[in-house]
Amino acid sequence: METTDNELVERVRGGEDDAFRILVERHSRPLYRAAYRITSNAADADDVVQEAFLRAYRAMASFDARATFATWLHRIAINCALDLIDSRKRRDGRIADGEDLAMIASPAATPDRVVLSSEMQRAIATAMAGLTGNERTAFVLRHFEGMPLEEIGEVLGTRLNATKNTVFRAVKKLRQHLQPFTGSLV
Amino acid sequence: MSNAMNTHLSQEDFILAYYRELDASAHLAGCETCREELARLSRVLDQVTPAEVPEPDDEYESRVWNRVAWRLRSEKKRPRVNVTRWLAVAAMFAVAFVAGLLVNRRDTTRPEQPQIAQTTPPAAKPAATKTTEQTRDRILFVVVSDHFDSSERVLVELTNLTPQENTDFSSSRARAEELLASNRLYRRTALDRGEESVATLLDELEPVLMQIAHAPEDISADELRRIQKRVETKGLVFKLRVVRADVRKTATPQVQQPTI
Repeated sequence: METTDNELVERVRGGEDDAFRILVERHSRPLYRAAYRITSNAADADDVVQEAFLRAYRAMASFDARATFATWLHRIAINCALDLIDSRKRRDGRIADGEDLAMIASPAATPDRVVLSSEMQRAIATAMAGLTGNERTAFVLRHFEGMPLEEIGEVLGTRLNATKNTVFRAVKKLRQHLQPFTGSLV
Repeated sequence: MSNAMNTHLSQEDFILAYYRELDASAHLAGCETCREELARLSRVLDQVTPAEVPEPDDEYESRVWNRVAWRLRSEKKRPRVNVTRWLAVAAMFAVAFVAGLLVNRRDTTRPEQPQIAQTTPPAAKPAATKTTEQTRDRILFVVVSDHFDSSERVLVELTNLTPQENTDFSSSRARAEELLASNRLYRRTALDRGEESVATLLDELEPVLMQIAHAPEDISADELRRIQKRVETKGLVFKLRVVRADVRKTATPQVQQPTI
């Protein structure tokens, strides 16, 4: 039977680094996906994953199993991604440059969805890049990950009303940005 | 929100209803205006699909673990002074140099002191001390500049390699490992001193140096391509050139005008 995450956490606390290896190998891929959705950049997502595991290792004593280890780790990764986005924006506004946008605007259409024009994809990418770190994260978690608002609030460290307002702002900005492209649809 | 039929839902209510965080079905059942508005919002939001996440290869998990384990080992060893003794000693000198460099660099950007302060001889530093500091500052700038220069050479060589199986990577790897130790110390110092442009570049450089330092000596073509792509994506070579030029400019001794 596969060892549970909580058992592995206990072993890590007992000084067994091999147990941490299992946790890293078990969770790195889903963590990468979540980090990529927020950073929209493979190299940044890599850095976020690595940093998240390091922070998790250092904070292992504070993990109290109220949430699952995966959820706890996910929150740490999101905070790492937010730190990265914020520091980038603060430093040089790099998040909105063409390089990042090109990576965000990868083809996303699936057979069961409307095929998006490249202009529409670019508009979505630009709109997403124009959101603040919190807005982007809240939107990604609600819209793509389907996370309930209360849980998003826990991740962002905000109250429910503030979390709602963050999602509202994100949706309004996106809608405003996409209006020229969706005008024919609405 | 109000469920009264004569009061329409707010824009916020529509968003909550779209995400099923609000049950507005009773109102929507009897209000065509709101049903249409929700449909319009849905058509916009339905267009927002997630960017396709490039799936990492089969070795991703072990690669992450290798990097995490490397960092953890470094952190655990840090109090005992890690790597080799000579490298540690060199790094400590380098940190002292950089600290001085950054402090002095910040001083040069401060506004001029009032005239009275400049003309008060007792407050001025002794000439010999000032000269020593200036000389040291120049050395400090050269140290940082050299670090950027060495890093750039490693990255340029790496990006020029043709990806093929079992490329001998030992030289790049060894140099990256040496640079990594200094890089951390410089970065911490730069952060402490609030030198954002230097810290930013060192911050971006660190994970790449780590990836190179931790790659196998006979690196696979795929792994080499990944590192090359990472260097290119971050535009590191260009950034190194820009910041190094800036540091060099600051390090160049300025001709002092004689005081009349």
